[in-house]
Amino acid sequence: MKLVITNLTKTYKNGVKAIDNLNLEIGTGMFGLLGPNGAGKSSLMRTISTLQSPDSGSIMFGDINVLEDKMALRKVLGYLPQSFGVYPKMSAEALLDYFATLKGIGSKTDRKAIVKEVLDITNLYDVRKKHVAGYSGGMKQRFGIAQLLLNNPKLIIVDEPTAGLDPAERHRFLNVLREVGTNCTVIFSTHIVEDVKELCNDMAILNGGRILKQATPSQARAELQGRIWTKVIDRDDLEAHEAQYNLLSSNYNEDNSLNIRVFSDNQPNEDFKSVEPQLDDVYFIALKQDEPVSAV
Amino acid sequence: MFSTIFFYELKYWAKRPATYIYMAIFFMLSLFMAATTAGIFDSITATTGSSRIVNSPMGVKGLFNGLAILIFFLFPSIIGASINRDFKSEMHSILYSYPFTKANYLFAKFFSAIVVVTLIVMTIGVGMFIGFRLPGTNSDLIIAFDIKSYFNAYWLFILPNILLFGAIVFAVVTFTRNIAAGFITVILLLFVQGVTESLLSDPDSRYLAGLLDPFGESASAYYTSYWTVFEQNEMHIPIKELILYNRLLWLGVASLVFGLVYKFFTFSQNAMSFSLFKKVKGERSIKRNFGGITKINLPKVSYDYSIIQNLKATWKISNVEFKYIVKSWPFISIVLVGLIIVFIALADVGNPYGTTTYPRTWLMLRGGSAFVFAINICTFLYAGMLVNRSKIANVNGLEDVTPIPNWSLFLSKFIAIVKMQILLLTVIMVSGILFQLYKGYFDIELGLYIKELYGLKLINYVVWAFLALSIQTLIRNPYLGLFVLLVISIAIPFLSLAGVEQAVFKYNEGPGFRFNDMNGYGDSLANYLTYKFYWVLGGLVLMLIAALFWVRGLPHSFIERLMIAKARFTTPMAITFVLILGGFLTMGYTIYNATNINNDRYSSKEVEEMTVDWEKTYKKYENYAQPRIVGVKVNMDLFIDNRNFESSGEYAMINKTDTAIDSIFLNHNDYPSTFKFSRENTLVSEDTLYNFDIYKLKEPLMPGDSMTLNFTVKNKPNTFLVSNSPIIENGTFINNFQLFPSLGYNGGELTDDKTREKYDLPPNKLKPHPSDSTALGNTYISKDSDWIDFEATVSTSEDQIAIAPGYLQKEWVEDGRRYFHYKMDSKILNFYAFNSAKYEVKKDTWNDVSLEIYYHKGHEYNLERMMDGMKASLAYNSENFSPYQHRQLRIVEFPSGGFAQSFPNTIPFGGDTGFIAEVDDSEDGGIDYTYAITVHEVAHQWWAHQVIGADVLGATMLSESLSEYVALKVLEKELGKQQMRKFLRKSLDDYLLSRTFERKREKPLMYNDGQGYIRYQKGSLVFYALSDYIGEDVLNGALKTYVEKVKFQEPPYTTSIDMVNHIKAVTPDSLQYVIKDMFETITVYDNRIKNAKSTELDNGKYKVDIEFEVSKYRNDDKGKQLFSEVGRDSISYLPEGKTKPILSLQLKDYIYIGIFTEKDVDGTMKEEQLYLKKHKVTAIDNKITIIVDEKPTEVGVDPYNKLIDRNSGDNRQKL
Repeated sequence: MKLVITNLTKTYKNGVKAIDNLNLEIGTGMFGLLGPNGAGKSSLMRTISTLQSPDSGSIMFGDINVLEDKMALRKVLGYLPQSFGVYPKMSAEALLDYFATLKGIGSKTDRKAIVKEVLDITNLYDVRKKHVAGYSGGMKQRFGIAQLLLNNPKLIIVDEPTAGLDPAERHRFLNVLREVGTNCTVIFSTHIVEDVKELCNDMAILNGGRILKQATPSQARAELQGRIWTKVIDRDDLEAHEAQYNLLSSNYNEDNSLNIRVFSDNQPNEDFKSVEPQLDDVYFIALKQDEPVSAV
Repeated sequence: MFSTIFFYELKYWAKRPATYIYMAIFFMLSLFMAATTAGIFDSITATTGSSRIVNSPMGVKGLFNGLAILIFFLFPSIIGASINRDFKSEMHSILYSYPFTKANYLFAKFFSAIVVVTLIVMTIGVGMFIGFRLPGTNSDLIIAFDIKSYFNAYWLFILPNILLFGAIVFAVVTFTRNIAAGFITVILLLFVQGVTESLLSDPDSRYLAGLLDPFGESASAYYTSYWTVFEQNEMHIPIKELILYNRLLWLGVASLVFGLVYKFFTFSQNAMSFSLFKKVKGERSIKRNFGGITKINLPKVSYDYSIIQNLKATWKISNVEFKYIVKSWPFISIVLVGLIIVFIALADVGNPYGTTTYPRTWLMLRGGSAFVFAINICTFLYAGMLVNRSKIANVNGLEDVTPIPNWSLFLSKFIAIVKMQILLLTVIMVSGILFQLYKGYFDIELGLYIKELYGLKLINYVVWAFLALSIQTLIRNPYLGLFVLLVISIAIPFLSLAGVEQAVFKYNEGPGFRFNDMNGYGDSLANYLTYKFYWVLGGLVLMLIAALFWVRGLPHSFIERLMIAKARFTTPMAITFVLILGGFLTMGYTIYNATNINNDRYSSKEVEEMTVDWEKTYKKYENYAQPRIVGVKVNMDLFIDNRNFESSGEYAMINKTDTAIDSIFLNHNDYPSTFKFSRENTLVSEDTLYNFDIYKLKEPLMPGDSMTLNFTVKNKPNTFLVSNSPIIENGTFINNFQLFPSLGYNGGELTDDKTREKYDLPPNKLKPHPSDSTALGNTYISKDSDWIDFEATVSTSEDQIAIAPGYLQKEWVEDGRRYFHYKMDSKILNFYAFNSAKYEVKKDTWNDVSLEIYYHKGHEYNLERMMDGMKASLAYNSENFSPYQHRQLRIVEFPSGGFAQSFPNTIPFGGDTGFIAEVDDSEDGGIDYTYAITVHEVAHQWWAHQVIGADVLGATMLSESLSEYVALKVLEKELGKQQMRKFLRKSLDDYLLSRTFERKREKPLMYNDGQGYIRYQKGSLVFYALSDYIGEDVLNGALKTYVEKVKFQEPPYTTSIDMVNHIKAVTPDSLQYVIKDMFETITVYDNRIKNAKSTELDNGKYKVDIEFEVSKYRNDDKGKQLFSEVGRDSISYLPEGKTKPILSLQLKDYIYIGIFTEKDVDGTMKEEQLYLKKHKVTAIDNKITIIVDEKPTEVGVDPYNKLIDRNSGDNRQKL
């Protein structure tokens, strides 16, 4: 099933246009929504998840008109917000049972079976009797996935799920997500380019409420083949290079020199070496092109 | 850093709308209350007539303090939240690493919050100031603005209270990081205050109570609780030692609490936690860091989104919510403290004079109403907690995207609240049963518990739950919501003051119900349930509106919520809404129709105007000659099943005047009636509003001529919501004044002179002075008759016994009805009653008098005591005064009312008044009031039914004070003098307290206006003291001569002057002053022991040196103190080191000096009297030396409190 977003706009009371006439089409599989902090990712995901209403536009998931028939979407939706809490003094098992009830599972045995399964999947079975409020960040995030799975969702929306997780937790989390994402649409927002590279078969870059670019990760990299150049410079030369070239990123080396990456159709000069394009480059190029042209 | 944080906080509050909402609420409330007490609504409702100045220092303090208590409920969210906010926003993790000191941080936070609270409190003062002076307030109730009144109330009471309670809340919330905890603390503190106040309420512990009351109320009450109206209006609250000690004590506690916060507060990440159990030993924990690729194969489960499933889910969610409530410790602590309160209330309910009542189930349920506040608070609080629960826990992002419908979420919260209410009601039942078992009482009516708690009470709380959930849903801030709900629930009853009198306009108001053993709930339930059903519909309307505004997801503005609400108002929703609203309005209209259109209902304003109109139209006939009723024959048929009565009767009347009577003024009620005179007449004026008809006789009734009036009276049929008949199913008790016509204008005028002035009526002197010889033509019982012949036939249903005064002539059954024919063989007052119920009868005799008690089956507990009381009273009265005029005496039980009343040979006696008293006959037990009331009522057969005063001032002294005197004397013989001290101290305390509520004037005993506190309490004190001064035999001898002279007399009737003259005649000259002090004036003593010491003499005896003060003053009828009799003849004494002399009237008084010791009697220390003699006192300051045989432990001046003294506590001193 396809998620089709057309002309979506949302302006907040303080005048911020969080979503700006946005159009997007998302098919089955993992979809990465990449964007810096404040790009409007959460606003977009909350809007798709029926938590807030847009000013205008439409969202269709298959033949469900999301804005008109929120209940229909909620039946097939799995949503994990950027930050969430849990009720104190409730164990994972009790809380999942509670969510299973909310999600329409009437039979007690059914609830038991599915709660056990999602606890297994997320590796929480051993701590199922413990209060969720006492979980570590990674465990809590896995609990978030567990509750999301209860209604066997067709559309999964996860908002910056890997922020703050240690490498082991992050991998485990992404693996589970990948696993569940094979047969449905998973929208996955992040500002970590790495996540998208590892997981997604489609992606979009969002900033200022607009889609700057939509492509598959490999396709996006392929587009840049032969147009990314790198050079090692002194720290003091940075400003000059910035002015002269289309500078994408710069990293310090151990000897305090800088590694810079530059976007250019041709080799800027012989000091530059051609490098394999990375997803980071795609991201920075998209953001750079969207930047307001400042008076020079 | 202090000022940075301090001003940052103030700015924060200045930007919050809540600050201004709170200010506005307090301003409006205080404005409303002040303006209302000052009579601003007098134009639309009844006049606020009173001799009380509303903005006197006492008045200002009362209102200011009362409203300021409400602000305590804001402490958690203002003072408590000041630090908690930093935790909640997780600012603390950054903030606490900054370089400011703990002192800076804590003081700045605390004092900025105190400033905010203080500013909100100020609006109360401003609101009051303006409210008192709004145009339209009654200037007679207002005195000039005095800043000192506000200032004293503020710095002496309100500000220290804010600091104390603020510090406690600050501490609790800071350490628990839980605003609800702070809130519960406030409630607990209020509860605890209530408990200590009721535990320390007896006069002996008032000093202690004054010291310990954290609000300082009891401390100021220690000085002011006996203040007369004059003093309340004029005087500032004295800033005396106890008030200062109390304030210092509690300020000290506040500093201590704050000091503890300072000591234990650390800039740390985690809240303090308290654990009842030992800390579990820490374990090193490592999580698994590897592995985790799993095949996902979710089991096939079925998803069901049907209504049935949603309903099931609703129930299941409500269980989760319910568990949350029950496990939360605010709830647990409210329940625990509530239980304590209930137990105290149960131990205290229905215990007059320290005698307990058998713990009948209905009494337990009444005591359980102490829990009402707890249930309401829980409802208001947890409605807010549940509505906002997912938002507070930040679970709404997960919950709101599930396919559960809104109604299911909303409904589940409602169900959870109702479950909580059921649990709380169960607490009442369980504590009631436990209390009954603890008392060894096994007649537990489980069915009654269940019916009342789960049937009747629950519906009332459910209606509150509707409102609570609706308000909390709309407001979305649980503490603001709670505050608004509290204000609403407190304010609703006050709407009557603003002219909104009918329950149909006031949320969840309506008629109540009351259970008694005889008649159960009577007919009260239908009305109660009708109103409750009406309010359930009203509550549902609110719930539907709130459901439209239920927040799902994250709406950002009010406009957005409005748009969503509009979208949710779909056709099915609209239809439901219209149906329920229609039902609500239809029912409201039906109720309004039944009570207003089909029934004559008058607002209190209309009643007031009608009273004026009545007086203006008909008072002119007051002295118009009328015949006197000399004989009454009635048939009274009581139809129990449909609660109707039909009666007919005949009055025999004689013209006892020496002029011809040309018109009869017939004063009747609005029962359908017919009247027929034996003489030809024309009805010249018929008044269907006041039911005052004038019949002009064709031939005037000449002096000595007689005529008859035949009448029939029945009730209008009882209709829906309106009962037109006083008949009840079991235990009817009605008297002739309620039913039958009388002759002539019979008063019933407005008494407040300021109100009268408003309507151009002359000042009311209430009653003529007894020296007015023209005013002695009527008794104070009736104006149309003297002594009558009486005969009555009463019929009732076959299973009941009907009773009227007189002797039973015949009893028969006819057509399934039971008839009783009673006839009196001697003259009685025109005052009789009818009783009917399913009675059991107990019989006995005393000399030739047959004694009977008609009682409700199951109420056998005290029948012996009543019999003994009848006998003892018959004996005392007939020995000391005159023979008993009847051959029979009957006590007849009626359901409830807390009183008994004496009719000729018949005494209706309240079923809740003595029948179920659990008398403790041991020396420590309370007063046997069953016995005392019986003696009192029997004494009325003499003191009212033989000696009846003219309808002038002081008439009730001849009946009530004397009956009370007889009761005391009989009781004294039964219990001994020691026990009398308890009774007298209670009478003294009751007298002194009740007179402070006087609305018009207090006159001396022999000129009293009939107030209960004068005729009972003061009367009993005075006659008891008098019998002590001149001797019981001498007093009774004088009374005997008096009775001989005046009993069964025809007009002119006797007066208090007549009786007092008889007493004066036997009083020695040296004690004539006692008569003047006690009867003719209001005289108050101030006696105290200053110093006392005892030294053992060589002969083994003890020399006791006593220094004591005696002074007395008179009160005028407003309570102003007067120290001189004629001119400036007062005496004075300046104690050492004082600047103000003690003043007194001239003294030639005989005052008891007593010396006591303690003896061990069977393990307990008992007081024993070593010396008790009257000493003549002529000066204020006195020193005497007395030798006693044993080692004394205590001395006293007037040690048994026989004299009226406002500080009876300093009359004794331990050595």
